[in-house]
Amino acid sequence: MAKNRYSLNVNGQRRQVEAEPDEPLLWVLRDFLGLTGTKFACGEGECGACSVLIDGDEYPSCQVSVEDVAGGEEIVTIEGLGKPGELSPVQKAFMDYTAFGCGYCTPGMIIAATALLRSNPHPTRDQIIAAMDHHLCRCATYPNVLVAIESLAGSSDEEDN
Amino acid sequence: MSPTRRDGLAGLGGATLAYAFQVGCSRTETIDYANFPAPEKKERQDGRPNYPGVDHRDWLLISSDGTVSAFTARTEMGQGLTTVMYNLLSQALELPDERIRVVLGDTELCPEDGPTTGSAATHYFAWNFWRACHEIKKDLVLLAAEATGLPSEDLEYRAGEIVSRSDSAQRIGIGDLANGQVRRMNLAADDSSVRPPAYIDKGTLSVHAEAIVTGTLQFTGDLTVEGCLYGGLLIPPYHHHMTRLLDKKLNKARKVPDIVDVRRKWWTVAAIGRTYSSVQKALATVEAEWEVPDRPVELDNEREIRSGAVLKQVMDRKGDVDAGLRRSGLVVSESYITQYGSQFPMQTDTAVAKVEPGRTTVWVGSQSPFLARYNTAVAMHQPESEVHVVGLPMGGGFGAKAGHIVASEAANLAEMSGTPVKYVYSRKEEVQHRNRYKESVVIDISSGLTPDGRLLARKMDIFQDEGHGTEELYNIPEVLTLRHAAKMPFKHGTMRGTSYVQTCFAVESHTDMVAEAIGMDPLVFRKRNVLLRAFSPLIDSCAEMMRYGKYQPPDDHGVGFGIINHGGRQLGVVGAEVSVDRASGEIKVVRLCGAYDIGVVINRNTARMGIRGAMLWGLGYALLEEVQLDGHSCHTTGFSSYRIPRFSDTPPIEVAFLDNQHPGAPRGCGEMPLPATLAAICNAVYNAIGVRFRAIPMTPERVLAALREGLS
Repeated sequence: MAKNRYSLNVNGQRRQVEAEPDEPLLWVLRDFLGLTGTKFACGEGECGACSVLIDGDEYPSCQVSVEDVAGGEEIVTIEGLGKPGELSPVQKAFMDYTAFGCGYCTPGMIIAATALLRSNPHPTRDQIIAAMDHHLCRCATYPNVLVAIESLAGSSDEEDN
Repeated sequence: MSPTRRDGLAGLGGATLAYAFQVGCSRTETIDYANFPAPEKKERQDGRPNYPGVDHRDWLLISSDGTVSAFTARTEMGQGLTTVMYNLLSQALELPDERIRVVLGDTELCPEDGPTTGSAATHYFAWNFWRACHEIKKDLVLLAAEATGLPSEDLEYRAGEIVSRSDSAQRIGIGDLANGQVRRMNLAADDSSVRPPAYIDKGTLSVHAEAIVTGTLQFTGDLTVEGCLYGGLLIPPYHHHMTRLLDKKLNKARKVPDIVDVRRKWWTVAAIGRTYSSVQKALATVEAEWEVPDRPVELDNEREIRSGAVLKQVMDRKGDVDAGLRRSGLVVSESYITQYGSQFPMQTDTAVAKVEPGRTTVWVGSQSPFLARYNTAVAMHQPESEVHVVGLPMGGGFGAKAGHIVASEAANLAEMSGTPVKYVYSRKEEVQHRNRYKESVVIDISSGLTPDGRLLARKMDIFQDEGHGTEELYNIPEVLTLRHAAKMPFKHGTMRGTSYVQTCFAVESHTDMVAEAIGMDPLVFRKRNVLLRAFSPLIDSCAEMMRYGKYQPPDDHGVGFGIINHGGRQLGVVGAEVSVDRASGEIKVVRLCGAYDIGVVINRNTARMGIRGAMLWGLGYALLEEVQLDGHSCHTTGFSSYRIPRFSDTPPIEVAFLDNQHPGAPRGCGEMPLPATLAAICNAVYNAIGVRFRAIPMTPERVLAALREGLS
């Protein structure tokens, strides 16, 4: 397969890349654009570590080809949500509630929680679980992640952390 | 040219004052910088280095700008060790975090030591730093007396300064005492007189928190080295059989865009490319035929393990077990078997290597950087002094990253390519071929009892290749524990919880069966027979949290408990409530409670995170996780064919800390909740439906089959 030129809309910036049409967005971000906050963990869309926002919805970037997002779709990665010192509310909550262990799955979790809270600002615990269930964390920090998201959802059954 | 250890230390800020400390020696001396440290490495019979592990040598360095740096070969796996170190040093030396630096797992900067495993890092290494800091403060007072001419009795350490008690205007910063010396400190093996920290935890956040939530923490796979290409190897479809490649056609692979090189290498084919995808694509186009392994895996796992097993080790012997069993009024004999498990860290094994004349540098998330250095040196035919291993955050280890094949492979591929090379295992490659599974273990157990419910005798036959010992939970006068090893057709290795997982599952399932056989409540039975009295308050606390005896679970719900003694230093009691759906066979864990005695808790956030995580691993072992091996092949390829616990599996988890065994020293907690939770869930399932599972995981298919057959 030959390479094509693509103009992508990543974190509010136009970025030019030259890639084969089936190149996964994950590796375009990591290898072509140096945005390494989006993590590779399975390459099969099974774990959520590589999630990004595309036009506000969450997608596993390993299952999205560069061709799929060549039409100017707004791609937002973890780097586009906030920086050290300028954290988004979701990033701040994950930090305050130690909602991570090794931290490898965390960017994908934060992307998913951001998408959830934008579409449903007051999710119940069951809705949070349903929305996050495809995100895997081998440190199994799920209880802390739930509490962190609930702190933003305004629900009241926070447990002692 | 990378810095040498000496440059590295000196480069930390002008003059330095270094303290090297270790446990178990009696002398205090000032040592020669040039020979610092002199690794007491011993050759094992197989020629590999052996780290005796008794001295736990570590270093602490004071720089002229007043910062304090701690160096250790232990590594950050996500368990929070770095944070624990900051918390400890900050409290012990009364310094803000900005004046502390923690360097982990760099073979040129850190003292040589063994792997980070067995929940031991906090216990040994962090505690030793705490102890050393108190000795170092005394030594700094003596150095300050020498430097200022003031009497040492009048001086005291206060927040990074030595201050005169009689005239507080007289003071000297610790940075001003940095005189280029290296002082060696020996901490007594007996730490019983050491004053423990009253309470360290201030609920401080992880030091990596902000980097993690912004995606800026640099894991091994995120590292960029100039000119770096991706490398990869073609992997056979058979688990861990490095068999001969029978045929290959490489032309198609060479035409993949961004591919730089494809060639035969070792027993397989290597590809070098500019992107991860190009390497994967190129390897996928190779038409390979593989030699089929001559010995297929026996489909009946238990038969495979029992067949050809030979007695390897008497693990425990007390009294005369046969006589004890004969004397017992009641003998309960059972057999249990566990599954093959896989660690599944979120980041697959990954390394970056750069080869220069006389020097190889490898960046790798390794649980044992010094073993990675050794393996790389062997693979590169270089002395270890020419290999520099830099430990980076590894994205989870759980025992999977103690093998280091990826480090030496990346180095060999970098040498072949003439450029730096990054090797990122695909998930399938990691799981199917590289992984060392947690062993499947068969345990036969017989216990003899007195009519009033005391254990008299116990015989255990453990069929397991690698034995790590088991900590006795109960006070039994006549004991015989034997380990029988069978040659496994595939490799196995370390995985969170080591062999405590398998033995605790068997022993604690058996404990409930024994208690039932004499009609005794399982917790009353445990309290009557438990070896360590420190278990009693833990059992009471856990029962209280579970509202045991005050709460009637609904139909098809059950409550069960499991206890664990890990290494004689970490004690835990876990309670579980489960519900069983008789129509679907699905078991749901409704809640978990754990009471733990782990010494002083250094950081409550990271400790709870680790403990809850370990409890959910127990849930995974009990209900979900199993590597699917069949004949020559492994059918487990990734997360879609190996269920790990998810959000929807996660019940409310309550955790309580009690410190009553020997208060003080932090003792670690990363593994011990796992086996106890596994056992508690098995006992809760029995309590709910009266079915005792001899094999785990308790999948819906197994539950339905058991209910159909009325197994018990």
